[in-house]
Amino acid sequence: MSQAAKTNYILNLYPTTKLLFTLFIALSVFIVPTYWYAYAMLPVCLIIAIAAGQGKEFITLVRNGLLILLVFIFLMQAFFYPGAQILWQAGILKITQEGILYGLNMTSRILAIGSAFILFFRITSVKDFVYSLEKLGLPPKGAYVVLATLQIIPEMKKQTSVIMDAQKTRGVETEGTMMVRAKAFLPTISPLILSSLASTEERAITLESRAFSAPVKKTHLYEIYKTKHDTVVRIGMLVALLILIAGRILL
Amino acid sequence: MKTGIKNDFTLMAILLIPVCVAINMVGFQIAQLLRLPIFLDSIGTLVIAMVAGPWVALVAGLITNLINSIFNPVYLPFSLVSMAVGLAAGFLSMKGMFKKVWKVIIAGIILAFVSTIIAAPITVILFGGVTGSTGGAITAVLLASGQQIWTAVFSTQFIQEIGDKLLSAFICFLIVRNMSDRYLSKLNYGQIYMKD
Amino acid sequence: MNSVIKISNMSYKYPTGKVDVLKNINIEIEKGLLYAVVGPNGGGKTTFCNVLRGFIPHFYRGDLRGEVLVNGKNIVESTLGELSLSVGFVFQNPFIQISGVKETVFEEVAYGLENLGVHPDEIRTRVEAILKLVKIEHLRDKNPFELSGGQRQRVALASIIVMEPDILVIDEPTSQLDPQGTEEVFEIIQIMKEKGKTIILVEHKIELIAEFADRVILLHDGEIVMEGTTQDVLSDEKALSYDVMLPQYAMLGLELKKRGVPLRKIPITEEQAVEEMNWWMAERGVRI
Repeated sequence: MSQAAKTNYILNLYPTTKLLFTLFIALSVFIVPTYWYAYAMLPVCLIIAIAAGQGKEFITLVRNGLLILLVFIFLMQAFFYPGAQILWQAGILKITQEGILYGLNMTSRILAIGSAFILFFRITSVKDFVYSLEKLGLPPKGAYVVLATLQIIPEMKKQTSVIMDAQKTRGVETEGTMMVRAKAFLPTISPLILSSLASTEERAITLESRAFSAPVKKTHLYEIYKTKHDTVVRIGMLVALLILIAGRILL
Repeated sequence: MKTGIKNDFTLMAILLIPVCVAINMVGFQIAQLLRLPIFLDSIGTLVIAMVAGPWVALVAGLITNLINSIFNPVYLPFSLVSMAVGLAAGFLSMKGMFKKVWKVIIAGIILAFVSTIIAAPITVILFGGVTGSTGGAITAVLLASGQQIWTAVFSTQFIQEIGDKLLSAFICFLIVRNMSDRYLSKLNYGQIYMKD
Repeated sequence: MNSVIKISNMSYKYPTGKVDVLKNINIEIEKGLLYAVVGPNGGGKTTFCNVLRGFIPHFYRGDLRGEVLVNGKNIVESTLGELSLSVGFVFQNPFIQISGVKETVFEEVAYGLENLGVHPDEIRTRVEAILKLVKIEHLRDKNPFELSGGQRQRVALASIIVMEPDILVIDEPTSQLDPQGTEEVFEIIQIMKEKGKTIILVEHKIELIAEFADRVILLHDGEIVMEGTTQDVLSDEKALSYDVMLPQYAMLGLELKKRGVPLRKIPITEEQAVEEMNWWMAERGVRI
C-alpha cells in the first residue's frame, strides 16, 4: 500500500478522517429509516474501495465475512419473527410480512456497517491508524502492543505450520477420528506457547535497552499529516449528516 | 508483589499480550486444521489471565477481537465477550480455580456461562440470533420446535461454549503447570503457580 | 581514579535460587577503559552484566546485597528508564534483540532515539552515521525479521551505540558471527573505545581480548578470582586452573620460560611475541 499511498488521494486521507466516514455510515443507517438507503451503502463503499485500488480485496472480505451470515439472518427473521400477515405457511413453519421487513432492515444495517468497517481497514494502514490514535492520547505502551501483535501473528502462524509438519513426521496422528485429532492439539500448541512465552523475557530486556521506559516524551520518525482534503471531507460529512437529520425530522 | 489494575501492566505483562493474542489465533488455526468442532480461540487469554491477572487478560481479549475484526467486522461487538472471559478467568485464577483438575472443570463451566450471558444478547439484538452457520442451524431447529428466541440462542450458545471452555481451561492448566518458577517469579500472578 | 561504576560487597541470589550466583563482588570500573569479562559458562558473567544494567534487581528481582553505584548513583534507586540513558546493553541472542514493531532496519536502529525523544532530523543523521560505521547500510530497507543471525547482531549493536550511552555492556556479541563478522564487531568496539566509552565486554575469543582489552575480570563460580591488566591476567598460568584459555602466544611464552628461555615478559599477542622473540634472538647474537 505504501507505494500507492503517495499518489492515491483516498489512501492519503488522515486515518481519523476515514474512521469518521465509517462512523458516518454507521450513524446514517439509523437516521434514514428505509432499508434501501442502507443497502445502497454497499455499492458506495465498493466504489470508494475500487477508487483506492482495493476493490477486489473488499469484495472478497464482504463475501467471506458477511454474505452467508446475512442470508441466515434474513431467513431466520422471515420464518420466526412474530407477525400477523402470513405470506406462506407449511405446518409450523410460516413466513410473515413483518418478518421479511424486519429481516431486510436488520441485514441492510449489518451489511452497511460491516462494509464500512471492511472499507476502513482496506484503505487505512493499521500503522497509520495506531499512530493517529497515539497523537490523540493512546499511551505509547498501547500502541506498542497493537503493532507488536500485528508483527507476531504471521511469525507464529509460520511456526505453527513448521511444528505441525514436524509432528506428522514424528508420528503424531493428525487424521482419523475426532478423538485422535483432538489428541494432536496439545503437542502441537504447547511447544509454541512455551517458547513464545519464554521469549518475552528477552524481549523485555531488549525494549528496556532501547529506552522504552525512559522518562522523556518520545518522538516519531514517521509522520502523517492532515491536509486540506481532510478538512473538505470532514465538512462534507458534517453537512450530509445535518441534511439527513433535517430530512428525517421534516419528512 | 503489588497487584491491581494500576500495577498489573508491567513490561512483562505488556509483552505477553501480543504473544497471547497470537496464541488465541494459532489455537483457532490448529483447531481448524485438525477439523475439530470447537474454536479453542481463547487459550492465550486464559493463560495470560492466570499469570498476569484479570485486567491484562481483559486487554488481551479486546485486542484479539479488534484484530480479528480487521478482516471480519462481526467480531467487533463480541469484543465484550472476550473481555469478560479474560476478566472472569483472572478472578477465578486468583481464587485458585486453576490449581486442581476438579476446580478447573468448575472454572470451565463458569467461563462458559459468562461467555454465554454476554454473547447471547449480542447475538439476538444485533444479529437476530445468528452468528455462524452451525449455531444458526441449531437455533433454527430450536425455534422451529417452538422455543422462544432467547431460550433458543442461550441454549445454542451454551452448547457451543461448554466443550470449548472446558477443554481450553484444561489445556491452560497443563501449560501453566509446566512453566518454571524462575519465569513465574517475574509475573505479578505467577506466585499462585510456583512449586515452592 | 576516575571510576564510573563502583561495586562494593555485592552478592546476588535469584528469587527462585537457593545459593548466591554472585558472591562478594568488589570492583571499580574506570572511565574510558575496555574491560573483558572471562570465565567458564555458568560462572556468573551474564548475571554480572545484568547487575551493571540494573536488570538485576529491577527486572529479575531476587536478593541483591551490597552496593552498586553507576555514575555515583545506587542502581537500586535508579529506574530502568534512567539507566537506559547511561548504560547501553547488547546481549547474546540476536534473534530476539529487535523491537518487534519496526518494518525496516533503518527504523529499527532509530527506535531507541525515538524513545529518548530525539528530534527526527537528528535521528536521521545519527542513524545514517551508525549504519555506515557498523557497515549495514545495504540492509537499511530490509525487514529485521528477515535477517541472518550475524546481521541481526550488528543491527542490535548499531541500535544501542546510536543512543550514545557512556557505558556499554556487551554480552558475547560475536557468538553468532564468522571470523569476518567478529573482526568487524571488534572494529566497532575499538571505535567506541576511541570515543571514550567505557566498555564491559563478555567474550570467549581470548586472542581478541588480548589484543583489544585494557583489563580483564575473571569470574569463576560467582566470584572475581582474578582482576588486573590484560597483560597480567592473560600471562598468568593461574587462569588455566579456572578453566580459562590463555592466548596461544602466552602458552608459547610460558612453555619457553619453563624450558629456561629468559623472556622479559610473557607475550600475549602476536605482535608482542614477535617482538620478544626478536629481542631474545638479538640477545643471543642472532641476526634476521
